[in-house]
Amino acid sequence: MRRPKETATAWLFLSPALFIYGLFLLYPMLASLAISFTNWDGISPRWEFTGLDNYRHIFFDDPQSLRAVKNNVVWTLVTVTVPAGWGLILATLLNSSMRGRTLFRAIFYCPSVLPLVAVALIWAWMYNPQFGIVNVTLRALGLEDWTHAWLSEFETAFPATLVTAIWQGTGFPMLLYLAGLQGIPRQQYEAAELDGAGWFRRFIHITLPWLKETHIVVLSLAAMQSLRAFDLIYAMTYGGPGRSTHVLSTWMYFNLFQYRQAGLGSAIAWVIVIISLAVTIPYIRMVARRRHG
Amino acid sequence: MKIERVGFVFLLAAAILWLTPMAFVVLTALRAQRDVIAGGVFSLEGELRLSNFVTAWRIGHFGNLFSNSTLLILLKVPLGILISSLAAYALATMRFRLNWLVFAALLLGLAIPVHVTLLPLALLLRDLGMNDHLASLIPPYTALGLPFQTLVLVGFFRIIPKELFEAADLDGCPEWTKYWRVAMPLARPAWITLAIIDIVGTWNELLVALVLIGAEKWQTVPLGLLQFQGQFASRYTIVMAAILIAVAPVIAVYIAFQKYLSTEMSAGALKE
Repeated sequence: MRRPKETATAWLFLSPALFIYGLFLLYPMLASLAISFTNWDGISPRWEFTGLDNYRHIFFDDPQSLRAVKNNVVWTLVTVTVPAGWGLILATLLNSSMRGRTLFRAIFYCPSVLPLVAVALIWAWMYNPQFGIVNVTLRALGLEDWTHAWLSEFETAFPATLVTAIWQGTGFPMLLYLAGLQGIPRQQYEAAELDGAGWFRRFIHITLPWLKETHIVVLSLAAMQSLRAFDLIYAMTYGGPGRSTHVLSTWMYFNLFQYRQAGLGSAIAWVIVIISLAVTIPYIRMVARRRHG
Repeated sequence: MKIERVGFVFLLAAAILWLTPMAFVVLTALRAQRDVIAGGVFSLEGELRLSNFVTAWRIGHFGNLFSNSTLLILLKVPLGILISSLAAYALATMRFRLNWLVFAALLLGLAIPVHVTLLPLALLLRDLGMNDHLASLIPPYTALGLPFQTLVLVGFFRIIPKELFEAADLDGCPEWTKYWRVAMPLARPAWITLAIIDIVGTWNELLVALVLIGAEKWQTVPLGLLQFQGQFASRYTIVMAAILIAVAPVIAVYIAFQKYLSTEMSAGALKE
């Protein structure tokens, strides 16, 4: 039963959202797609249509761009798997009536709510070559040779930012896994225990399969997040030393707003969109299924 | 049981490791720069002081940063919840053609990274005469939060029993009244959670603000904090005090509203 009046009202209710969504999300997104096929610099009125040149440039011609792509692959792999695994371990341990449970949860979750600029500054202090805890601790242990100027040496700068990302990114998967674990019926474990299954087998055969939906959410969101990682790299290394720690998002920003390469920058942005869509599909399908289910 | 004791010790060790960075930020922020340099981060020589916070507040112009970020939140968060809940109400309770298309567009919106909108957005806002002004952040922030907020609220509006709306229909209530008097009060936990997530997210946002805001007058907290990375980077104790000033409000919000964030609902909301 579809009454005409109801349809009109529906569009009235939807109109502010559609207006904002269309003008400030959809339109800029499509405009940048158009820009990505040109050699526009972002300011001058002159530009030429260059087809897929910018995209070819990223993957085949330009070692700097390729470096950002490779870094981003590493960044994604590490910041998806390590915080998820670590979060699952913590959640499993915390999923009991243990003393201090709430406090533990707060401690691990706390870094996730901080502004990333603050996280970057905190770790810049940790990594300070002279006074930072990392080097001070190493010196105190007599491991002088292991000390580094962590954020300004080529070998250590990128791994150092990854450690920061793990510290920051563990809390959220942990919280999602905790919620997921609470949905597993206790009888499942009791039955398995009666059958003589040890904790490891219970974990493999009950916990992991029951968390299937949570895995999808955790992994999709983390992968999406990893493509958007801008703040940490920008505030910790500014892409340096050299241009060695750029990921796609920082490299895009520098091209768009500092090197005046609007065409190339927009193409990098669209590479991010395409990968982002691909990794989000499982998550989107799940949300869509829930709607019909 | 033995395994549980091992688990507890493991958690304790991990928690100490996790707290270390924060602990040293606090410790450094409370000491004089010359004491930290002379004695090192681990020492406790010299006296503890609060003067670093006063200095950081002053040189970081935190008064200005806080009022900008607060104003932004006061305008943006209610507006975002209002717009997305209206859309969600239509999607969840009304029948109309193209419902699926709107829904698909919102799902797509979940995957759109802000990065791809930045340059055209900056040009658009300049054409609208909104460049380099705090207000220029409101439309993009609202647009970015919209897909997630709407989808979560659709989920919550759907589980409201149909009878409640039908009873309101019998009383002759218009849609607006049903939205405002029935749907919104019942979905209160959902939109409060969304609002809290939004408050923290808006307080923390860097990239869009970095692109759209240039004037010091309109800087938000993350932009202001960024200056401590450059200009004042070697005044370690002041930088640490500035960090604590900048994170204090988010920690306070998190603690105050923990019951909304730590319930199953929040994780459920994030799933929708």
